[in-house]
Amino acid sequence: MNEHISPTKLGFGILWPAFWTGLPFKLAFAVLFLAFGIIHFENRIALAFLMLLASPVTVFAVPTVTLALGSNIGEGSGIALLFLLAIPIDIWSLGIVGRTYFLERLRREPPGGLGLTLWWKCALVGAIYVPILWAAQGAITEAAIAGAYSILEADVLRGIPVAEGISIKLTLWSTVATVALLVLFVIGFSLVGRMIHRTVQSAGHAPENYQGLIVRWDLMRVPLDQGWMLTALSGTAVVLSVLFWFSLPVFTPHPHDCCKKPEVLAEPPFKPLETLNKDEKMIAHLAAQVEMLVEQRAKSELEKEQSKGKGKEGTETVEAPDATKPAAPTAP
Amino acid sequence: MSDIPSAGTQPTVAEKVFTFVDERVGLKLLAAKMLNESVPGGSRWAYVFGSILLFIFIMQAITGVLLMFYYVPTADHAYASTQYILHDVDYGWFLLSYHFWGSTAMVVCVFAHMSQVFLWGAYKKPRELIWLVGLVLFALVMGFGFTGYLLPWDQRAYWATTVGVEIVDKMPVLGDFLARFLKGGPTPGQMTLSRFFVIHVMVLPAALIALAGLHLFLFRCAGPAGPFRGAPAELKAKTDYFFPRQIWKDVVGMAVVFACISAMAFWEPVVLLEEATPDPGDYHPEPEWYFLFIFQHLRLKMFSGEFGQFLGSMGLPGLLGVMLMLLPFFDRNPERNIFKRPFALIGWVMLTASILLFTVSAIINRDFLD
Amino acid sequence: MQPQLKSKVRCLDREVGEVSKIIMDPLSHEVSHLVVSMNGTGERQVPMGAVQVVTDDLVQLRSSSSEVMGMQPFKREDYVTLHEVEIPGLEKHIHVTPGEVLVPFPELERNVKRRAFFANLTYVTGLFIGLPLAYPVLKFLMKPMYASLDNGWLKIGNIGKIKTEDTGIQFQYKRKIKEAYMPEAEIEKNVWLVKATPAVLEKVYQGKDMDFLDSSGKAIWTNKKDMPYLAFSGKCPHLGCAYKWRKHKVLGQVFLCPCHLSIYDASGKVLDGPAPRHLDLLPIQVTAGGEVQIIDMEFKAGTKSQTRIV
Repeated sequence: MNEHISPTKLGFGILWPAFWTGLPFKLAFAVLFLAFGIIHFENRIALAFLMLLASPVTVFAVPTVTLALGSNIGEGSGIALLFLLAIPIDIWSLGIVGRTYFLERLRREPPGGLGLTLWWKCALVGAIYVPILWAAQGAITEAAIAGAYSILEADVLRGIPVAEGISIKLTLWSTVATVALLVLFVIGFSLVGRMIHRTVQSAGHAPENYQGLIVRWDLMRVPLDQGWMLTALSGTAVVLSVLFWFSLPVFTPHPHDCCKKPEVLAEPPFKPLETLNKDEKMIAHLAAQVEMLVEQRAKSELEKEQSKGKGKEGTETVEAPDATKPAAPTAP
Repeated sequence: MSDIPSAGTQPTVAEKVFTFVDERVGLKLLAAKMLNESVPGGSRWAYVFGSILLFIFIMQAITGVLLMFYYVPTADHAYASTQYILHDVDYGWFLLSYHFWGSTAMVVCVFAHMSQVFLWGAYKKPRELIWLVGLVLFALVMGFGFTGYLLPWDQRAYWATTVGVEIVDKMPVLGDFLARFLKGGPTPGQMTLSRFFVIHVMVLPAALIALAGLHLFLFRCAGPAGPFRGAPAELKAKTDYFFPRQIWKDVVGMAVVFACISAMAFWEPVVLLEEATPDPGDYHPEPEWYFLFIFQHLRLKMFSGEFGQFLGSMGLPGLLGVMLMLLPFFDRNPERNIFKRPFALIGWVMLTASILLFTVSAIINRDFLD
Repeated sequence: MQPQLKSKVRCLDREVGEVSKIIMDPLSHEVSHLVVSMNGTGERQVPMGAVQVVTDDLVQLRSSSSEVMGMQPFKREDYVTLHEVEIPGLEKHIHVTPGEVLVPFPELERNVKRRAFFANLTYVTGLFIGLPLAYPVLKFLMKPMYASLDNGWLKIGNIGKIKTEDTGIQFQYKRKIKEAYMPEAEIEKNVWLVKATPAVLEKVYQGKDMDFLDSSGKAIWTNKKDMPYLAFSGKCPHLGCAYKWRKHKVLGQVFLCPCHLSIYDASGKVLDGPAPRHLDLLPIQVTAGGEVQIIDMEFKAGTKSQTRIV
């Protein structure tokens, strides 16, 4: 039984496998949501991936980071949904990883509900620590960049050409930022380890020998009812695939200027009775107009003859306006 | 111990078929020899990268063949046919984007696989030949990326290739010959496209399949190296067979990579620039991201001049390649624990860091080109 | 039971030595000879016929020791080991080695259920990779297979060209096509026009206007039964060859297809030959000025029912 395990080793030993164990499930949903278009990532996709990977600790930190620190990892309602779905996945993965670790590394009997216990402890630590890490790392990186730039602005180094300058500046500030990040990570894992320590201490001793422990955690992964589990998984694959087929955009979501698809106008619905009535009315209206014009023309010609007869009195007869062709009825 | 779970009294149809074939082919024995390879210390997630690379290659081959149903490698139709795939063929954009990001995944996983082998000391005796063949495979993967990049025949493709081949031209003695061979003439054109297409679609795949087969055969001859630390009792307790546990971990790794590539396809679908023209205009030629670190060398003053350009772009990387080839021969210390090989650890960290730094520098440098 | 290596060999009178090698027959897959090491005086090759009985550690011969001494000495150069040769299936028939060489069976692998579970889980995980691709790949490959139909009107000439009734007159025209990413091209096609007398019209339309519908069932055009101009698609419905208007010895002026000698009358009805249906009619319009327009359609060749493909 391992009495003196360092909190950092404990935190890392549980979190690292748990992150990766949950990842395949979270990725399946992430891809589906991308296909549905409810998530969009921009430049911060790597960061989004890391936040998703570390969801046992970041799940409650993401809102804080997004709102308070004003940085978001992506857009869309799908992000919140993804992290919500990550919760049961993480509880399960922490459970299986936790039990494995307790048995093999600590040689202790894993307590019941270990997954849930580990999860809320990690989430709690993360909710407080991850925003602090984010803010601290951001500040350190900014300071490092500024420092690197000012070093290169010094007269001594003024003459350095562009490409060399870029690499030197980058090396300077990225080294500082990386070291800082590693230190912050170690602190983080240590905090998680400390939170978990009490759970470890209260666990009893596992009775088996080494081989027995290995066999035990290995067989833990084999479900009692294989058929059910495999059928359920296959069914999930079918459902997710069908959803994927349904949601996958048929043509590129980023069309080139050369080949933009024209807006498809829906054909206006064809309503025969309405059209007939409209046409009838229009015909009647036009017929009336034509009659009126014919009358007008007859009248004006009569007046012309009369004025001709009156002689050159100069009554300029106003020509009847040319019968403007009535607008052709628009066929439906 | 049999491969088939012991059923009830009546054998299933599958079992009957299996027995039928087994009587004639020795399938049970063959399967046992192929699959029941002992992995000392047990199956590990760290070992999945080799199989993942095989998976990525198969996916590239499948998506590549699908693309060939519509793509035409002629200068007058390459661009139009690629745009056709993106805009007019159902899900063509997804398959092309998958193929594009798959090549990135391939390079990333090659680096991961090489790093894992290096850090685990699995290049040391008796595994030197596997390492050498692996280095050739790495060169083939880079060749795939270089030749495939030209095929869409847009400005980015055309000019990246032009610059790349010009770099080859700077090689002493053979440079001009090689450059003309690749271009199919003094300047890039239809001949270049035809050659790059054949190399990408027939020559490199055949070479890769042959060498990957050799790589796997040599690996089986030597057996898996296993973890670099652990008491023999620990290793023995955890030992299991390649099938099914390691294969299952490999498949999960493949699924994760598949999801990542698909996600990238959604995040940044392939978008072409305008069709290639002899005048680059405002466009600044650039190779794909995994050549950027070499590309950035060319911008350093120390590599100016004809020989300097050769040195920075081919000489130094070539020298690195030669050193890697000689690695198993001058590192004869049988110690495989990376924490007890400080030079190896520091060397790996430095190399990785410098590749990263130069890659990012090249990206930052984009803003300073005018 | 096969003799075991290192078994003692006993003749009728005394023990002579031990089995040092076994020789198998590559055709019958059975042990053919023993090589007996004769206690320091060389090796003799003993045929299995000389063996009386084999037990676990003893081979009893039915010859005397002097007879065995007289048997053929063993010549190693006449034989090869099984490592140097490939004889299919021979290993299955060898049971000559006392004992076995064993390696430890890993504890983790002893559980058959576990083995089966991970094997099946591998297949299910593979399903997550393969299944999402199935539908998109299928649609990708099928893209050009069911292209939409073009129902544009094409001008093909003037009816002034038609001087006689019930006679086939060929009109040649050009059609623009755009295939996938290829630039627009022009192809030459032809139709046969007939100015039909009422009798022929009756044969063609049988008193009903001819409707042309699109794939969703909507009407594109209707050829009126009393419109005298008929336009026949230039492709023979048998296998798509171009046919001609010719004089036949017996049947008079007919449409004759040179490929397989399908013969049609002026109404398009099959008179002779392998054609499965009448000549295909096309939508036709004639303007007041005599300009003829048709909708270019093509139909599947070789079938009784008419299926439009272009």
